[in-house]
Formats: sequence, structure tokens, C-alpha cells
Amino acid sequence: MDVISAGIAQAFRLILSGDQEIVGIIGLSLFVSFSSVILSTCLGMPVGILLGTHSFRGKGVVLRIIYTFMSLPPVIAGLTVFLILMRRGPLGYLQLNYTPTAMIIAQICLVTPIIIGLIYNLVREKAPVVNRLGITLGAGRLEIMFLMIREMRIGLTAAVVSGFGRAISEVGAVMIVGGNIKGKTRVMTTYITELKSMGDYSRAIAIGIVLLIIAFVINAILYNFQEREGK
Amino acid sequence: MELEIRKLVRDYGTKRVLDLESVTIEKGTRTAIIGPNGAGKSTLLNIVSRIDVATEGEVVYESEDPRLVTQVFQQPYMLRTSVERNIQYPLRLRNWPEEGMKKRSNELMEDLGLLDLRHQKAWKLSGGETQKVALARALSFQPSLLLLDEPTANIDPATTAEIEEMLLKINREEGTTILFVTHNLAQARRVCNRLLFLDKGKLVESGDCQEILQNPKEEKTRRFIAGELLI
Repeated sequence: MDVISAGIAQAFRLILSGDQEIVGIIGLSLFVSFSSVILSTCLGMPVGILLGTHSFRGKGVVLRIIYTFMSLPPVIAGLTVFLILMRRGPLGYLQLNYTPTAMIIAQICLVTPIIIGLIYNLVREKAPVVNRLGITLGAGRLEIMFLMIREMRIGLTAAVVSGFGRAISEVGAVMIVGGNIKGKTRVMTTYITELKSMGDYSRAIAIGIVLLIIAFVINAILYNFQEREGK
Repeated sequence: MELEIRKLVRDYGTKRVLDLESVTIEKGTRTAIIGPNGAGKSTLLNIVSRIDVATEGEVVYESEDPRLVTQVFQQPYMLRTSVERNIQYPLRLRNWPEEGMKKRSNELMEDLGLLDLRHQKAWKLSGGETQKVALARALSFQPSLLLLDEPTANIDPATTAEIEEMLLKINREEGTTILFVTHNLAQARRVCNRLLFLDKGKLVESGDCQEILQNPKEEKTRRFIAGELLI
């Protein structure tokens, strides 16, 4: 118990002291997570909307694959990206393994299916009524598309935030492709794992608290948005 | 002539839900469409408003602008914005100036007793209020043809009376043609001057509303009217 309370006290001292290493790690974590979520949203949102509004042969198979990838174990995503990017792999010439870019790619593999799946379900439920309304009020195709995005803004935001939650808390994939290299690819989750194995619990708790604060802030923003829009 | 229906067929899989030879709706008329469940009444409205597509045949409109046809549903969808902005939405699509939009929405809100609700969130309204907003929204751009699919089902008598009064007013003052699906024969008598009786997708009888309701020529119509009046 003493270890934990002492760890928490030391954690706050570390955070407040502005420890350069910790600041760098937090910055890289946020950069990797935000980048992967932004790119996943750009990929996943149109795909989710198209899947929710169109029927085509093989759609059932595509959806089953997406649902499977929604619960893809991070280590498998990490291993796959690592094998593709390793020196002898198909994209080895890019020399991306052990760089933040590889970490972003691995996280995109994890986050995009979540965004597609959540948006697909949202659109499937709401699109028919919004589409029907748009047509009967004289909206064109593009105007109906904008209307859908506007009407589903709460659900779309929730899907993106869920993706961010997956990205910021993920450890397996970024560990494999990033390698937890100090000052280069070390992020909060991989650092916690290393600190724990080294027995440096206070630093591990400090990073854990920061991770929790970030998750809290992001979810608080979403909650406020939902409250403002939904009330 | 407001619109002409020519050999209109709609199949869902192997089931034929609509099979109409030829129907003409004259400009400025108020036509009730009655018939038992599964008669094809809503399918007919949906094809006329272009949210469904006929398997065969066509609907010819007098107006070349398809945006002059609109529909109000039994359970209308309210945009996630205020009552006033819901009513103004079709006008924004048509690039009306701000002043004109305000004037038109004020007129409609006044006629339907919605002025006090103008800043309310539209998706939080009661069933009757929602239906009045949906009607005001549909009428905002002065449609040439207004389609109504059981708009007063599950609505209290006072609100029903307000809606009926509004329909008669816009028909009288703006010459709007009305196609009105209803199960309520007393309502058909109050609001409409023409009547179409459909059964199993086919037109059984059409003509003057009062005349058919008093002296139906066809046995099917007679039995339906007798049954409905008993209820």
C-alpha cells in the first residue's frame, strides 16, 4: 500500500516538475494517436457511410471481416505491420520499422475497423429516414450527404472518440513496430510496461495518471458535446 | 391536371403491391386515398414523392420541377435543431433570403400555433406539435402537390382539427393539390373532395368523395365503408 501511495505522490511531483522525458513521451503518444485517428477517420467515415447506405454483392462478407477486425488483437496487427515493413518484407525498402510512422500505420489497422463498424451501424439506422426527408424537401444528393453528417454528428463524434480510446491505450502493436526506443518511439503505454519491469513504480504511476487524465479530458469533451447537442 | 399515373406497377420480390391502370389527379383537388392495410396507399404516395421507384409505368407531373412535390409522414423526422430552423430548412435549400425565410416561417408558425415553440428543440416536441412542425416545414416552400400519409393518426382531436383547417386553407389560398392517405372516413369527408379507393394494389373506385362515401358503386368499397363506420 505504501508503495502505491508513495508512487502517487511522486507521480504528481514528476508531472508538476515538467520532466523533459515524460513531456516528450506524452507528446509522442498524442502525436501518434491523433495522427492515426485522423487518418482512420478519413478512411473509415466514407466507407462506413457507403456501407450503411448502399447494397452490393458480398456486403455480408465485407461486414463480417470488418466486425472481426474490430476486435483484432493489437499484437497481431503489430506483427502483421512489422512483417510487411521489415527489411526483407514487401515494403522493407521504406525502412519504416521502429519509427513513429510504423506505429501510426499499426494503429490505423486497429482504429479504422472500429470507426467503420460504429459508423456503419449508425448510418444504417438513421440514413433511411434522413434520406427520405431530404428527398421530400427537395435536397440534392450532396445536400442529403451533408444533412446526414450533421444529423449524425453526435454518433460520428462518439465513433471517432472510441477510436481514439483504442489508439491511446494500445500497447501491443506499438511495442512490436516501434520497439519502445528511448527518445524515438517510446510512448506512454510502452513506457509503463518497461517501468513496471524495472520496478520504477512511481514513474509508471505518473504516466498512468497522465494517460487517465487525457482519456478523461477527451471523454469530457465528448460528453459536453453530447449534452449540448442532445438536450 | 396536377399529375397522371400511367400503368403503375410496384413489385417487392414476387409480391405485387401496386398495380394501377390510369389515374389523373386534377390541379387544386383534395383527394383522399382510402383502403384496407396492404392496399398500396403508402406505396403510391412514396412513388409519387420519388422516395420509391415504380417497377413499371410512370407518374407524369404537370410541374417540371420535382422539388414542388413534398410529403408528410405519419411519424415525421425532426432535424436536430430548433422548430424555426426545421421549418426554414427547405427554404435554405432554395437559397431564400434571410428576411423572406423569417416572414414565411412566421406566417406558418402563426397559422399552426407554433410561435411560442419557435426556439424549442424540434426533436423534443409532443406528437401533435411534431406533426404541425412537419406540416409547416412541408408547406414552407409553397409546394404544388402535398402528399400526406396518415398525418393525424395517434394525434388528439384538437390538433387534428388545426391540421385539417390548415390543409383547407392552403388548398384554398395557394391552390395546393392534396393527396391524403387516411383510415378516417369522417376526416376524408371533412377535408377531401375526391376519393380513390384501393384494394390489394388496384384501384377499385374513384370519384367525388361525398358521393362515394354515401353511395359506393362497388361492393368492395361498400363493405369497407360499412366496416370502417362500425369501428
